[in-house]
Amino acid sequence: MTISPAADPSVVLKAPALRERSVGYRILAEAMRNTGFRVGLGILLLIVLASAIYPEVTSLSATKISVREKFLPPILFGEKWSFLHPLGTDQLGRDMLLRCLIGLRYSFFIGVTTVVLMFCVGCALGLVAGYKGGWWDTIIMRITDAQLSVPMIILAISILGVSTPSVLTIIIVLGLSGWPLYARVARGLAITERSREYVRGLRVLGAADLRIMLLFIAPNILPGIAFVAVLDVARMMIFEAILGFLGLGVQPPTPSFGTIISDARKYLINAWWIATMPGLFLTLVLVSINLMGSALEKARNRIYGGAS
Amino acid sequence: MFLVEYLLKRLAQGVVIVFLTSLIIFTLLRVVPGDPVRLIVGGMANDTVVKEVAEKMGLRDPIIVQYGRYIAGVVQGDFGQSYVRPRNGMVVAGGEYIDPTKSNMAPVIDLVVERLPLTLMLAGMSLVFALLVSVPLGIFGGLYPNRWPSSLALLVQSVFVSIPNFWLSIVLILFLSVKLGWMPALGYQGFAYVLLPAIVLAVEICPFLIRTLTVSLGEIMQAPFIDEARVRGLSRWRIVIGHALRNAAVPLVNLLGMQLSVLIGGVLVVEYIFDYPGLGHLTVLSVVARDFPLIQGIAILTSAVFVFINILVDLITYAIDPRVEL
Repeated sequence: MTISPAADPSVVLKAPALRERSVGYRILAEAMRNTGFRVGLGILLLIVLASAIYPEVTSLSATKISVREKFLPPILFGEKWSFLHPLGTDQLGRDMLLRCLIGLRYSFFIGVTTVVLMFCVGCALGLVAGYKGGWWDTIIMRITDAQLSVPMIILAISILGVSTPSVLTIIIVLGLSGWPLYARVARGLAITERSREYVRGLRVLGAADLRIMLLFIAPNILPGIAFVAVLDVARMMIFEAILGFLGLGVQPPTPSFGTIISDARKYLINAWWIATMPGLFLTLVLVSINLMGSALEKARNRIYGGAS
Repeated sequence: MFLVEYLLKRLAQGVVIVFLTSLIIFTLLRVVPGDPVRLIVGGMANDTVVKEVAEKMGLRDPIIVQYGRYIAGVVQGDFGQSYVRPRNGMVVAGGEYIDPTKSNMAPVIDLVVERLPLTLMLAGMSLVFALLVSVPLGIFGGLYPNRWPSSLALLVQSVFVSIPNFWLSIVLILFLSVKLGWMPALGYQGFAYVLLPAIVLAVEICPFLIRTLTVSLGEIMQAPFIDEARVRGLSRWRIVIGHALRNAAVPLVNLLGMQLSVLIGGVLVVEYIFDYPGLGHLTVLSVVARDFPLIQGIAILTSAVFVFINILVDLITYAIDPRVEL
């Protein structure tokens, strides 16, 4: 006598449980097993917490000038270093660590918001182009190609060069110039989804195009793109810094990585840390984001590869 | 015959894209605030002079009329003349007034052609540096997944992609030029001046190359035809070089086309920092000076290059792997 699979309780319980977990949860769980992801997450959480808390509790000010404490070197360098200023002070005696942490707030906020904007605009257009096909596809994709062929940075500096750069304009400009890649990816996925059985079924049932796109195709394709978008947050943070460096970012006296480094070029020989420390700090943050991003990407490929 | 038809189709599409690009840039430049006339005549000039010059230059006509006039010139090979750069190469200073409506301003096409070789040299050198680093790393990373070469490849790629290019430029200037005095940094007076900016650009391109190479080589090494080659008794290196690399080259070549805009963005910043007199430097200066014809000319040329390179990339892909659909 053979035991049917249904008689074995573990099999019955296990199978539905696996299916109920959402794709996003499974990708996260898979990524958590990656060392790079855990290291990146640890560093990032630490720094983000520091940038959220430290500026609020410290008595130091990121913008107040104190001439007596100018050009203090970072910890363990030179003679006059102190624990109060671990990364040293700048030409006006402002604490570098504090300025980096506040710069990070803006940088991070701009990076995340920009990617969300890029993601929404790009995926919406790509979804429509891929699902509708025909003229929709041709028109949207030609606009996408045109936008892709103008380098983002030329667009950004031509617009920000004349309008007053504020956090909002920076987000809009970066977001609007970064969407085409998302549109391409979303279109490609939407085209494969379109010919699937369930979409045809829905059409036969009389579901409206909008309903099929938003309620059925989007949940299937968007999580995969969203996890890779983490890598773009780092890219956008670099962009924000570049704009700041060119004088087109968040305006002083608000500290931002780009402006700090740009101003510090004058003191490069005498006080090397003013220009190098913020860069190192930013690089550390970006490395941690990138480690997380590539682990998530790998995890996504494994989950999607296994599922289909 | 099929190839000719394909080429014609792609070229026609390319022309459409370039037109769209020029229209986008043209409109954007005129919609955002900032009057070039004000910059041309100087801050002291009164409003009637501004109005007069603007009308003489046709800058108060509807945008679509201006665009039509401009594109009619472009089709005949005339990209217009710079607003602020006279023929003798000097930038108009605040004091002297050169009438921009007269013909003593430098034609855009001359300005661009003069700078182009320098930028091409920079791009070429950086590509060479990038390939030197990323090809070995990518190949070993792809051949030994889950061992230290692939971890190394991942680490290098994560760190390189995270380094802001302008910061790296400053650090390299500080160490290699100022402290050690190994290479010159600012300006351009000979080949040595290309090295430092090229290194910075190479660091920017490397991550993409390494990533693509590791991923595609890793996938290909799993393919049945590699096992089959092993069964046939071919040596490991024969398999890698003769069979796997050729297939892995396809995504790599594709990537080079896609990443061109990253390269251009990098060129802009790096040339600006190193004061390297190439196209990127010219672009930054023309944007700051609101030099409309020059910005438009550069944008159109860049998008034309972009389109052309992408067609070339598709052809090369086809030559490497005839199974690819054109």
